Amino acid sequence: MGCSSSVPDRASGRSGGLNPENNAADSKNLRVKLVLLGDSGVGKSCIVLRFVRGQFDPTSKVTVGASFLSQTIALQDSTTVKFEIWDTAGQERYAALAPLYYRGAAVAVIVYDITSSDSFAKAQYWVKELQKHGSPDIILALVGNKADLQEKRKVSVQDGTEYAEKNGMFFIETSAKTADNINELFEEIAKRLPRPTSS
Amino acid sequence: MSSGLSSLSSSDELDNFNPRTSPTTPPKPLEEELASLALTLPHPHLLSDQEDANGVSDGSEADSNGLGIQQSDEEMRVGEVCEENVVGNSASMVQEPTGGSDGAGVVWGRTNSEIEVDRPASPSSSGYAGERGSSSASSGRSEMDGVAEDEIQELRDDDASIGENSNSVPSWVPGKRHGDEDDASISWRKRKKHFFILSHSGKPIYSRYGDEHKLAGFSASLQAIISFVEDGGDRVKWVKAGKHQVVFLVKGPIYLVCISCTEEPYESLRGQLELIYGQMILILTKSVNRCFERNPKFDMTSLLGGTDVVFSSLIHSFGWNPATFLHAYTCLPLAYGTRQAAGAILQDVADSGILFAILMCKHKVISLVGAQKASLHPDDMVLLANFVMSSESFRMSESFSPICLPRYNPMAFLYAYVHYFDVNTYLMLLTTNSDSFYHLKECRIRIETVLLKSNVLSEVQRSMLDGGMHVEDVPVDSLPRYRTISPHLGQQRAPSEFPERFKESYAGMGGPGGLWHFIYRSIYLDQYVSSEFSSPVSSRQQQKRLYRAYQNIYASMHDKEIGPHKTQFRRDENYVLLCWVTQDFELYAAFDPLADKALAIKICNRVCQWIKDVENEVFLLGASPFSW
Ligand SMILES: Nc1nc2c(ncn2[C@@H]2O[C@H](COP(=O)(O)OP(=O)(O)O)[C@@H](O)[C@H]2O)c(=O)[nH]1
Ligand SMILES: [Mg+2]
Repeated sequence: MGCSSSVPDRASGRSGGLNPENNAADSKNLRVKLVLLGDSGVGKSCIVLRFVRGQFDPTSKVTVGASFLSQTIALQDSTTVKFEIWDTAGQERYAALAPLYYRGAAVAVIVYDITSSDSFAKAQYWVKELQKHGSPDIILALVGNKADLQEKRKVSVQDGTEYAEKNGMFFIETSAKTADNINELFEEIAKRLPRPTSS
Repeated sequence: MSSGLSSLSSSDELDNFNPRTSPTTPPKPLEEELASLALTLPHPHLLSDQEDANGVSDGSEADSNGLGIQQSDEEMRVGEVCEENVVGNSASMVQEPTGGSDGAGVVWGRTNSEIEVDRPASPSSSGYAGERGSSSASSGRSEMDGVAEDEIQELRDDDASIGENSNSVPSWVPGKRHGDEDDASISWRKRKKHFFILSHSGKPIYSRYGDEHKLAGFSASLQAIISFVEDGGDRVKWVKAGKHQVVFLVKGPIYLVCISCTEEPYESLRGQLELIYGQMILILTKSVNRCFERNPKFDMTSLLGGTDVVFSSLIHSFGWNPATFLHAYTCLPLAYGTRQAAGAILQDVADSGILFAILMCKHKVISLVGAQKASLHPDDMVLLANFVMSSESFRMSESFSPICLPRYNPMAFLYAYVHYFDVNTYLMLLTTNSDSFYHLKECRIRIETVLLKSNVLSEVQRSMLDGGMHVEDVPVDSLPRYRTISPHLGQQRAPSEFPERFKESYAGMGGPGGLWHFIYRSIYLDQYVSSEFSSPVSSRQQQKRLYRAYQNIYASMHDKEIGPHKTQFRRDENYVLLCWVTQDFELYAAFDPLADKALAIKICNRVCQWIKDVENEVFLLGASPFSW
């Protein structure tokens, strides 16, 4: 169903769990596992659907467990990056199962809603969790979503920036609704990926 | 490989398992069974005023050949166990002694596959560790307040207000309705059927109507009633208060309550509570109980966040999905070869470490297979299909989610890979291995390729359009039998052996003999097939009423005290209901209220024969341990 990833990339499932076997298919074509984390309702699914399908559906479809989608982008230097994206549910009952999805992820995108301080606090919880239990060289991105709702803003740009800097994260504010900064988010991530040293 | 859907556990039982619907010794024709009625003793005080009653056995004469009739042909309401007239605000309680552990008589499936998620020990994210229980004690209200007579009144157009259009799955508005109500709202009190889940400390967990948090006081009242009786060593089963029946189900620290004025039998309402509990376990596993051990005041509502839609869709299905009371599943009608093709590829992938592979179209099974000896309980299938279909996000992309099958192993999560092939058709691959997403994804791709190549998906679409069995197509001549009836399940109509006047008087009015609808449940297969609704039961309201009538007769047929019955014939102003239970199947048929009894019986035999003729197409056969 519309996933650009409907082709098996490897022969058989031996190991690797929820991770693609290797992050890099070759030096020109990267393949990377990305997980979205954050409170329920902050717009994770909308961000992914905007990025993968270019759509925004305002009627909320609560995610169950986690959805898997993928999208490939081409960079200026003619490399391509295939994102294999885990869009997690974010509900409390699945908190204990989150490692299932973020284990082995090369990138974690932690999302909050700029109109909700609670969601910003929850984002910080996820940052700590990943610093403790994520891959050691994981790339962390902090995303303040619903940037179109300026008048309802509760979390300032500065708060976001400062927290991100302190934790060595990349920070961006997005709007899945207007598509603002959505592609930029993924392009920035792609640029930060370590290039495989050819072997 | 086994995909046995019966709860088989030992290999001895497997040997005796008969996978066919066709019984080894065919049951006696219904005529014969009913004819033997004349020999049994009438039950005079039950039969006075009954025009059509010609004899009822009192049940004491057990028939030696095992096919006899214990009690039948009664045109009366069976199963009225409780007193109708309760005065004032007092409620009569019926208690059952505490006996079994869960009091539910549930036989759990195998529990040897407990899976724990392999995860780093994280203090903040362990289990359902969110210790959210607020410390405020629930408000004090008098114990009986909650169920006082007439607190909840009948609201005529509840539920029926939506979608009058007929056919299969009725329209339904997802999500909680009337979330703004609480127990002070008149509208809330007038709802015909309430469901509540609460904790043993009286904290609300779920309410069908209204905001759980606003219902704290009401929940506390329910809790008070339950604990009042439990303290005395008994357990409340139900309370009758005026028109209202209050049914309780206690599951460890979790209490479930139904308050209803729908006149459904106790057994049906209790079965519905069991399913609601099962749905909760499917989402959370039974390990939620541990949260209550740590903190009796634990607030569970946050754990169920976003699942209102799952429960409301389940409750809605009590009114349209016979699987919820038959404890059987139903298949999408398909040519035998088509279903075989689907089964073969599912079997193929299942051999690579998948516990269950299930291909469904809406709530109907296309094919399913299970790993060796693993069996899937029909109730789990209802809950699983409801969960997947009511959660919109599964349609957006492929998903991998923890789910628990309460009858398989209530303690552990399984992992479900879910993928929709088209709007209605979806695949579920269940595994115990939390790391197998990529493997399951590959399996799905293989399955999809085969399904497309063998046209299974297009046949599925076609079957959806054609519908299943139509009462108008019941073959009324005895010969010849149709061998292959697919794809239209007997649409070649045969010349009738019945007088022309029947065909005329029922033209556009259902099938021969005034047959309006039937449900046939195969005992060995755990499957049922029901006819499409004919014109006399075309509205949503009529369909719901018919299902209620079936539920009633089902409950009375299975009542342990006055049953089990073999046959039952009931006539009221709405229908003639005919029910026939043998070792191999159960048939429930609804006729025009003016239908001729002898003819109705004849038609029932025709229906049974017809189903045997098309069993290849309406049932999933060979889902037995012998098929590998
Ligand atoms: N105004 C606005 N609303 C958004 C935006 N992104 C998501 N939403 C809304 O937020 C709600 C939750 O979004 P969803 O993607 O389901 O959140 P998730 O639980 O994090 O996946 C939906 O009703 C969306 O319509 C956004 O950028 N701007
Ligand atoms: Mg989501």
